[in-house]
Amino acid sequence: MKKERTYTEKIHLWGAVWSVAALLVLFSVPFIFSVHYNAFPEIKTLLKALSTVIAVYWTTAIIEVVTYTPMLGAGGTYLSFLSGNITNLKLPCAMNAMERANVRANSEEGEVISTISIAASSITTTVIIAVGVLLFAPVLPKILAEGSVIKPAFEYVVPALFGALGASYFAKHWKISILPIAVGIIIYIFSPSMAVGTMIFITIVVSILGALGMYKAKIIK
Amino acid sequence: MDFKTGTLMYCLAFGVIIFVIIQSVFFMVKAWKRGKEIGIEKEKMKQTVISSVLFTIAPAVSILATVLALASALGIVLPWIRLSVIGNLAYETVAAESAVGVFGSSLANEIKDVKQFSTIAWTMTIGSCFPLVLLPILCKKIHKATQKMTSKSSSSNALGDILGAAAFIGIIAAFISRAVAGTPSDGPSAGFMSVSVLLSAMIFTIALDYLCRKKNLTKLEPFVLPIAMFGAMGIAVLFTQTLPAGITEFTWR
Repeated sequence: MKKERTYTEKIHLWGAVWSVAALLVLFSVPFIFSVHYNAFPEIKTLLKALSTVIAVYWTTAIIEVVTYTPMLGAGGTYLSFLSGNITNLKLPCAMNAMERANVRANSEEGEVISTISIAASSITTTVIIAVGVLLFAPVLPKILAEGSVIKPAFEYVVPALFGALGASYFAKHWKISILPIAVGIIIYIFSPSMAVGTMIFITIVVSILGALGMYKAKIIK
Repeated sequence: MDFKTGTLMYCLAFGVIIFVIIQSVFFMVKAWKRGKEIGIEKEKMKQTVISSVLFTIAPAVSILATVLALASALGIVLPWIRLSVIGNLAYETVAAESAVGVFGSSLANEIKDVKQFSTIAWTMTIGSCFPLVLLPILCKKIHKATQKMTSKSSSSNALGDILGAAAFIGIIAAFISRAVAGTPSDGPSAGFMSVSVLLSAMIFTIALDYLCRKKNLTKLEPFVLPIAMFGAMGIAVLFTQTLPAGITEFTWR
């Protein structure tokens, strides 16, 4: 028991150190560029550009940290937020890995599997983007251009990913699944361009409340 | 040489990428060692790595497509850096657009002024950095609170497991309902194709899961999701090539 706490404590310590280091690395990019070209932005212009971006994305960041941390485990959370693309890649990847390995998200096994899965995914993403940029940058725009044969495959990555992931979950938990999907569809009928980040928040709350209600009514065990 | 794709930018990109890879390797090694200590089979962890790598390929190519889409205005290196750290498909485009908009321009035009470019780089960085500020403060607290709740509920009939599954389902439900009835900012609107791809992915997964169970193909299990995903993407290509445009381009949003 003591050992378990030690590992989690260590993860939090490493995570904090890596997050601060990541902030430094992140800011070194515009800073070194600005110093090198003597081109620091004017504060007024920067603030104007930031006004919309911060209002939307800093709020989203708070919601994302609170929502995803319990699902990804400690190590998975620190890694995911550094390498980004959480909803469309890291989270589904970790969810799938934990489901297939038959481990619970909030167990120590879940923590280990989630971290390994997200680390593997981060390395793969970084390598694919780097190789793509360095080797295929001249060719890729043609491959992914309007009218190319394989363009539709990449236009529909998101439904393909969540359809496949959804099938495993819905088969196991179909009673819980009906309500959040129905609510999501109804909201999209009236507000079709709602940001998926906002929708995620709504459907998670609906899904949890629905599951809680069904559990209390003994519809699910 | 263009400042957007000069040696300095490439050096910065390599620095960032090496940092991300080292961090990932660090956490993977720690988790792997811990996994061994608590008795998770090596084979299970190996399969996790393989299935996660396969799972990542298609979404990573989509991210690469965003890098290329932003490259015409910002050069290839800044979008590459931004989408390798914290970056997000939907976020980076919007952040870049807001910054370019301040100069009365759009992402359709190449940025040629070094100061404008610097402003965009700062905007994208400051906009996306907030989770890294929050994590050292909040992650431990949230994690502890979750564990407390879960340990309490596991004693009362595994309610924790149900709520965990419900939260996962909530996320999946958001994307599925968007494919059925929404108009995403980063893809085609809901219609014949989005629903066909969605259903194909579901059918492939159910069929492959059934096959794994019936024939006891445990080795195939980690690959079910990547295969189903690629299969559904293949359906998108097949339908676009074989069905009339009136059907494949049909959207109800």
